[in-house]
Amino acid sequence: MLLKLSLSSMRKMMKDYLVLLIGLVISITIFYMFQTLALNGDFTKQNSVISSIQLVFNVGSVLLAFITFFYIFYANSFLLSLRRKELGMYMILGAKKRKISQILFLETLVLGIISLVIGTIAGAGLASGVGSLLMKQLDISLEGYQPFYLPSIMMTCGFFLVLFLLTSSVNAIKLARATELDLIRAEQQNDRVQRKGFATVLLALIGLAGLAAGYYALVHMEELREIGLFIAASATTIGTYLIFITLLPVFVNALKKNRVWNERKLNAFTFAQLRFRVNNLTKVLGTVAMLIALGVGAMAGGMAFQKNVSLMAEMGKVYDVIIHKPVPADYEALKAMTVEEQNTYRYKVDDAGIYYLKDDLLADPPLINTIGLEDYDPDNRVKRVSTSLPSKVYSVYDHPEENLGPDIESMPPDWQEAVTGEFINSYEMINGKAVRIVDQTTYSGIQGEERSVVLARVDDFLKYKQELKEIDERQTRLYADETGAEGPQLYSKYTTYASLYAFTSGTMFMGFFLGIAFLAMMASCLMFKILSGATRDKDRYSMLRKIGVRQEWLVGSIYKELFVVFVFPALIGLVHVLVGMNMFSFILEEPYVGIWVPISIFLVIYTFYYWITVQLYKGIVLPKEA
Amino acid sequence: MKASVLEVRDVQKIYGNRGESQSHALKGVSLTIQEGEFVGIMGPSGSGKTTLLNVISTLDRPTDGFIQIAGTDITQMKQNQLADFRSQKLGFIFQDFNLLENLTVYENIALPLSLQGVSSSEIAPKVHKVAQTLGIQEILQKYPVQISGGQKQRAAAARALVHDPAILLADEPTGSLDSKNAKSLLETMTDLNENHGVSIMMVTHDAFSASYCRRILFIQDGKLYTEIHRTQDRQQFFKQILDVLAELGASHDVR
Repeated sequence: MLLKLSLSSMRKMMKDYLVLLIGLVISITIFYMFQTLALNGDFTKQNSVISSIQLVFNVGSVLLAFITFFYIFYANSFLLSLRRKELGMYMILGAKKRKISQILFLETLVLGIISLVIGTIAGAGLASGVGSLLMKQLDISLEGYQPFYLPSIMMTCGFFLVLFLLTSSVNAIKLARATELDLIRAEQQNDRVQRKGFATVLLALIGLAGLAAGYYALVHMEELREIGLFIAASATTIGTYLIFITLLPVFVNALKKNRVWNERKLNAFTFAQLRFRVNNLTKVLGTVAMLIALGVGAMAGGMAFQKNVSLMAEMGKVYDVIIHKPVPADYEALKAMTVEEQNTYRYKVDDAGIYYLKDDLLADPPLINTIGLEDYDPDNRVKRVSTSLPSKVYSVYDHPEENLGPDIESMPPDWQEAVTGEFINSYEMINGKAVRIVDQTTYSGIQGEERSVVLARVDDFLKYKQELKEIDERQTRLYADETGAEGPQLYSKYTTYASLYAFTSGTMFMGFFLGIAFLAMMASCLMFKILSGATRDKDRYSMLRKIGVRQEWLVGSIYKELFVVFVFPALIGLVHVLVGMNMFSFILEEPYVGIWVPISIFLVIYTFYYWITVQLYKGIVLPKEA
Repeated sequence: MKASVLEVRDVQKIYGNRGESQSHALKGVSLTIQEGEFVGIMGPSGSGKTTLLNVISTLDRPTDGFIQIAGTDITQMKQNQLADFRSQKLGFIFQDFNLLENLTVYENIALPLSLQGVSSSEIAPKVHKVAQTLGIQEILQKYPVQISGGQKQRAAAARALVHDPAILLADEPTGSLDSKNAKSLLETMTDLNENHGVSIMMVTHDAFSASYCRRILFIQDGKLYTEIHRTQDRQQFFKQILDVLAELGASHDVR
């Protein structure tokens, strides 16, 4: 009989249950999506530049599990709050507590299983959707990524079943401890602000210390390594939660204490709402801040790896274009680009060596990268070779060294960098030969094919990927034809870039994947929490309307209130990201490159989300005007 | 001759659209309340007294007819004007107090003034004055949950009066109070009416509460049924009210 009653009341509260169900489904979906990456070790290892990527994913899994745990917990207490009054009434009418606990337990479990089934299916769908979208957008192909991955399904189901069992037991226990009257009066219980004293100060200090420790670990990730990662993840999380629990209410109370502000228009109400909300939402807001940090951080991290590819490519070579034995097609290609500097140098090749003509080199001294040289200056990485070459012949790579004749000197390091580092784009070209710089007379005496090499710098080599690709293809063919080598490896700036790009794309994919997962989780978390409390606010707004508050003021109050609720986690989350990007500084040249992209993506999503929440909230609480 | 503070003429209220099943909640009600009057509106459940209160309090629009409060025709006003009008000219007391439980009593009372843009320094003396009138100075810094039902209703009355409204509209103000608190509130309302010149319109179906009024209008089926004036003492008036209610055939509706 009770079961029948419970079913019919569930049907009546279909809308509330739907919100709950959607919330659960979203969290399961995201958890599953994450697991498809986290558990697919082969894929992550193959597609990442970080050797300990699996550890990153494991830490991420733990974090997500942690957050999901909270989330499910909220969802379940929301379920209990929906049913309290009704269950209390059954009890007053003589139903046994045991029976009611059983029913609640069953309800929670059934709801959990339903959402688990839908969530896993949706997760697989979403994973493949997001996966293919990202692959398309990022122009990468991902071998071995499986949106429908059995271990992930097992993991998701296992994790959530345990979670549901746990929370439904907690619900049952809560119910067992409450008296009938407590339940009936559930709605009258109030949002009281507790006076907080010493404990708050202590917690706030612990929170700040946690945050400091976490930040320290993030900045000094290189020395601390795995321990650092662990400290950063746990200390920052704990610090964030504690700060939201302790400091935010203090801040809002301070707002309220300002009498002039408080008594202007609806401010008293707005601040009061805010105070109540902030007290209720501290944990959710902490969670949101963490999710924002993780989401934006993951995107920024992936992005940074990708962006650093071009920086790494820049490190290798100064010149964007190196063409040996240029053909008309190469000149055509050069014409299509905005060339900032273009030099041509003649040289001869015979079986023993490569001979560059000194006059050509001195006429247009080339630029070199000083990174391997003694006079390396990080601010002025590129310099023009200026060492004079008074002797007739300079040599490098002569084997054995004794071969050097009386007129032959060892090549100065900067010239060596130029003719071996900048001029040469494939090992096949040297192939054990000596490289020399010779004067005109010696040059003329050398029996060998005369060739030339064109070096050029363009305004931005990323603009000419297609042309550069074709040039490199012709160069590859040239070396293949001359040496008979199969697929000679090229070391031009573009080729380096292209191979690094493919390599880091996987990382970026994971970053965006994680980022979207975390942001989506955050969004549903915050919205769910705010909207689930909205029914309680309804009376307040209808009362305000009765005493003559203009609709636009009510709307303004909602915007203001939710803005503060939204803005705090965003601020803290973004600070986390900005500090957190330091942890990549030991693998990346410039961890902050392009960080505005993920931040803007986040801001757009978040603002949109804020707006949607305001609209939905308005729909629930604002009285209909006659 | 005192000016009329409220004038209602031929007000009709029809719920439901044309062509659908319509219900006539008010079928042409006319009444006038003079400044300084204490008028009760009585009638059985479903008689239309709440609808009447809603259209007078500008929360609902009449389908037809004319309502003028303090010389202003409210039927022609726009939403924002109505909201401003409510916040300036009307004071409300409700059965369930309708205090904002997340604000202190002081903040609740101050709210109507804040809404009108009164500066913080001017608000304080006004709040204290009205609190004194209603005897609730001690609880100003408390939250509604921390005070009794009677105190809540006094706080609500203070909020309704703090901005000197043209008329105080009370909707079953004693409905949630025990008899002692109800009596005390009614005496306070009488005092406000007699000694502070507050015009009051009270909707109730409790004959005892109604006996505190000077005049009572009875409504049945959306129409004015009759009207009685208090000429003798309150005991007599109470009996008179019960007689009319019996006549209405709705004595079962009286507590």
